[in-house]
Amino acid sequence: MNRWTGIITGVAAAALLASGLAADEPKPGGSLIMASTQVPRHLNGAVQSGIATAVPSTQIFASPLRYDAEWNPQPYLAESWSVSDDGLTVTLNLVKDATFHDGTPVTSEDVAFSIMTTKENHPFKSMFAPVDSIETPDPHTAVIKLSQPHPALLLALSPALAPVLPKHVYGDGQDPKTHPANSAPVGSGPFKLVEFTPGEAVVLEKNPDFFIEGRPYLDEIIIRIIPDLSALLIAMENGEADLYPFMAESQAIRRLGEVDHLGVTEEGYAAVGPINWLAYNTKNEKLADPRVRQAIAYAVDRDFITKALHRGVSTTQRGPIVESSPFFNPDMPAYDVDLDKAKALMAEAGHGDGMELTVDYIPGPAEQQKNVAEYLKSQLKKIGIDVTVRAAPDFPTWAKRVSNHDFELTMDVVFNWGDPVIGVHRSYLSSNIVPGVIWSNTQSYNNPKVDELLNAAAVELDGDKRKALYDEFQMLVAQDLPIYWLNTLPYHTAYDKRLGNLPVSIWGTMSPMDEVYWKEAK
Amino acid sequence: MASYIARRLFYGLLLMVGVVVLNFLLIRLAPGDPAEVIAGEMGGATAEVLAAIRANYGLDKPLLTQLWIYITQIAQGDLGLSYFFDQPVSKLIGERIGATILLVLTAQFAAVFIGTTLGVLAARKPNGLLSGFVSVFATVGYAVPVFWTGIMLIILFASVIPIFPVEGMMDIRLRNADFLTKAVNVLYHLVLPAFTLAVIYLALYARLARASMLEVLGADYVRTARAKGASERSVLFRHALRNAALPILTVAGLQFGSLISGALLVETVFNWPGMGRLAFDSILRRDYPTLLGVLIIASACVVIANLLTDLSYRLADPRLKKEDEG
Amino acid sequence: MSEAAESPLLEAWRMFRRNWPAMAGLAILSVIILVTFYGAFLYQGDPYEIVWAPHEPPGVAPEFPLGTDYLGRDIVAGMLTGGAPTLAVGASAAVITMIIGILLGALAGFFGGWVDNLLMRVAEFFQVLPALIFAMVLVTLFSPSLTTIAFAIGVVSWPQTARLTRAEFLKIKQVEYVTAARAIGAGNLRIMWRVILPNALPPLIVSATLTVGVAILFEAGLSFLGLGDPNTMSWGLMIGANRDYILDAWWPVTFPGLAIFLTVFSVSLIGDGLNDAFNPKLRER
Repeated sequence: MNRWTGIITGVAAAALLASGLAADEPKPGGSLIMASTQVPRHLNGAVQSGIATAVPSTQIFASPLRYDAEWNPQPYLAESWSVSDDGLTVTLNLVKDATFHDGTPVTSEDVAFSIMTTKENHPFKSMFAPVDSIETPDPHTAVIKLSQPHPALLLALSPALAPVLPKHVYGDGQDPKTHPANSAPVGSGPFKLVEFTPGEAVVLEKNPDFFIEGRPYLDEIIIRIIPDLSALLIAMENGEADLYPFMAESQAIRRLGEVDHLGVTEEGYAAVGPINWLAYNTKNEKLADPRVRQAIAYAVDRDFITKALHRGVSTTQRGPIVESSPFFNPDMPAYDVDLDKAKALMAEAGHGDGMELTVDYIPGPAEQQKNVAEYLKSQLKKIGIDVTVRAAPDFPTWAKRVSNHDFELTMDVVFNWGDPVIGVHRSYLSSNIVPGVIWSNTQSYNNPKVDELLNAAAVELDGDKRKALYDEFQMLVAQDLPIYWLNTLPYHTAYDKRLGNLPVSIWGTMSPMDEVYWKEAK
Repeated sequence: MASYIARRLFYGLLLMVGVVVLNFLLIRLAPGDPAEVIAGEMGGATAEVLAAIRANYGLDKPLLTQLWIYITQIAQGDLGLSYFFDQPVSKLIGERIGATILLVLTAQFAAVFIGTTLGVLAARKPNGLLSGFVSVFATVGYAVPVFWTGIMLIILFASVIPIFPVEGMMDIRLRNADFLTKAVNVLYHLVLPAFTLAVIYLALYARLARASMLEVLGADYVRTARAKGASERSVLFRHALRNAALPILTVAGLQFGSLISGALLVETVFNWPGMGRLAFDSILRRDYPTLLGVLIIASACVVIANLLTDLSYRLADPRLKKEDEG
Repeated sequence: MSEAAESPLLEAWRMFRRNWPAMAGLAILSVIILVTFYGAFLYQGDPYEIVWAPHEPPGVAPEFPLGTDYLGRDIVAGMLTGGAPTLAVGASAAVITMIIGILLGALAGFFGGWVDNLLMRVAEFFQVLPALIFAMVLVTLFSPSLTTIAFAIGVVSWPQTARLTRAEFLKIKQVEYVTAARAIGAGNLRIMWRVILPNALPPLIVSATLTVGVAILFEAGLSFLGLGDPNTMSWGLMIGANRDYILDAWWPVTFPGLAIFLTVFSVSLIGDGLNDAFNPKLRER
């Protein structure tokens, strides 16, 4: 069965998350210390994207659905759901006994309020854009009305993207983006907030009234923020932290993999789809000619990046859709290294005597960004391009330059977020050239045929037809090359081997960890 | 004495107002629009969003009005809202200032105590081995970059001899433990950061103690004490050291500001959850209200430290006291 | 002040020459300066070029005696290139510090009264600011170039020089030859710069030397935090960039750190030597 048809037509199985894997009976109790280098601004994933907020947010807030490791939607706050044949109506039947941490029952009003709030405030505009209205015929039924079929809707109802907020807290008229409750959230998820020390720690404890009987197993989850990687690795090695998700640094993966009491897994990131790429400003006169962009592509050695710079932990990525996705088109040109061809293309484009370019990068994750930028400087010299690496002192500075199209080349990391409609379209649609907004179409790429294909794919409910649209889209952008895709980020989770039921669903730790437990007391 | 204290207090207050004004103007006049920074953190900026943010944070008012609002707010103990966390800056600083003060004071006391002892011992034999060691060590301690000492210690204690923790302030698992257990754990985590910070100053005090001791040991009253048959130890510690204490005290007070700067680097290296790291992170996030807040509080700490030094100096030196009363 | 001696500078130099730690400092510093500015002629290597496998330990590959960094770049090449900005910033920051400090200190000491009061309050004000944080603010606000860094260091470190200058001026102002100069009708400016300043120079020279050391440490600290000029290889930057990998590779942070230490160490040995040479009586200290 094709996986995407599963996403669309899936109707709830009776059982809550089949956990046939665990031979042992999970034991309740114990605390889990998670380590993170990322600093959450606040804990409300309805108005803030990104890993740092999503991990705590999904523990605190429940959502209509959640996903297993095979892209199948699973019941969560919605015990069952159905999609009408025309794809324009989605009905959610909510569990009856769910309450928020303050004791108020969770109703369809809260669900409707939350989805509309997310639609208006979340940076991923395409996620709920087709949602016209949500009807609430009774407290446990929510009916989502769509203006057009929206194949990504069910995925968008996941914990990371659609936290159900308490309407009685957030409906007070204050701006949800700066609502005081964002730092002291009340949700209906398996854990409730005890303490949030910005920039240092998030302390969560078991919600005893969680609507799934017997869960969560853990008594508490503490997220410790350790900005310095060496310090974080030491904390993991000596047991001061037990779980480190979103680990992408080769030395961390290798080092923690060698520690006796720790294991390392790649599972749990299927829905993230993180691509590391080199973006061109196609409006820049030096880069307007696709031949120059192709020349750079022929000069850059993806294998060198994944094997040497990333020590073999990351994998090459040829196109806009992650290669592990069913929508990926394997027929895309690979642009294998060919310096002669690159030089010829430069000459054809009238730059036989070389040119100067600058490359920006996101400050922070050096191995994926800065190091690759420095490699480009070294490598592009070979085809006569003199590259200046332009460092930004901080993320806001980089984001401002790139979002205002003040760049020539830039390194970037962009996530697929499970469905192309959510994470891919935004980078290529000409309607999404929005100065000031980062991770929009900052390349200023404009191809009417691509727009047409993407808009058709956004409303196509038939999986095979949708794939055909994306296949053609991928061939087109591979020719135009507004972006040269380099590799997928090698996200790994390091974990204490005594932990059971690791978070390995498609959303990994950006999904409730109510099933995680200690096999033996720590 | 009371009028002196009042004068000093008023003067310290004036200094603080100056600090506030200077930093405020500097940050507001600098290139870059804070509203865009905030919008960037939220995930995107349109003209309306920017306008709303400006209104929200009062960034649309004239500069002098903003300054006035800011000063009156600070007078009421309100340091404003962090751009990044949307939380009161005073809360963010409050959560961290204890860690910084603990680190700074521990390092300061360690440096003064060990340094002075070394200096006194060295002064006994001005040309002896220890004396030579103290002079060399003094120069070395001063010349080593503090962050590098920290990194070297981490390399050493993380893998070679793992006896001290090299990051953080407390094992977070002990969050609900009793006070004593927590205190012991914090002290255990404090060893390396405090030592790293103390190394620079240790040398300074050793040198200072040695110099003032040599001077004092040559003075008449010490010779008299010796002539009267006072033991060597009594001469060293009772007579001479008491007189060497004043310059050490003065320097200790003056070094407070530099200690806070050093603490920033040490906190960053050892992941110590203090104010210095908050300042550093705030710079990376362009979180100006928080940065301003840290600068003001850190300056206030220096002013208070100077004030206390001044007072203890007056109390310790009878001559100054008379002068003041006369 | 030994105005009776025929050439105080010559005498000081004689004293200095006999002080072996100071001479050692001078020798070390000379070598460091020669190597940083002329090393590129002896040792060919681009510090930005990826030339080898990452994290090659020192002493294994003969071409790369100090090993390679996280990208596989030659550490020796980095060390040779990274010294110049560090030294340049150190020296120019010291010059800026001295200019501001001497100017304001001289005015305060010479005129006294309200000028003195005002300037010393300003100095106190700058001493209250936590220097590193303030310098960080200046550097982030006004682009992280070498000039900004030197200027920022100067702005935060001048008060000490000013105090010293003021004290010297207060002292020398009372001395006979100043009164004499005034009697023959010398103007204020002339007395300040031609009569007093030369006599106040010895302690100021010592202080300037020490300021160079402080400035180098400061620059290293800022670069380490990633606030230095990112396009200029410097020792502090090398330590900061390699810091994430210290558990795997000790050498990329150790050698630049040693270089900074040796530089500041030699500078302060020289400073101590000068101090002794100018103040023979204080030698016992």
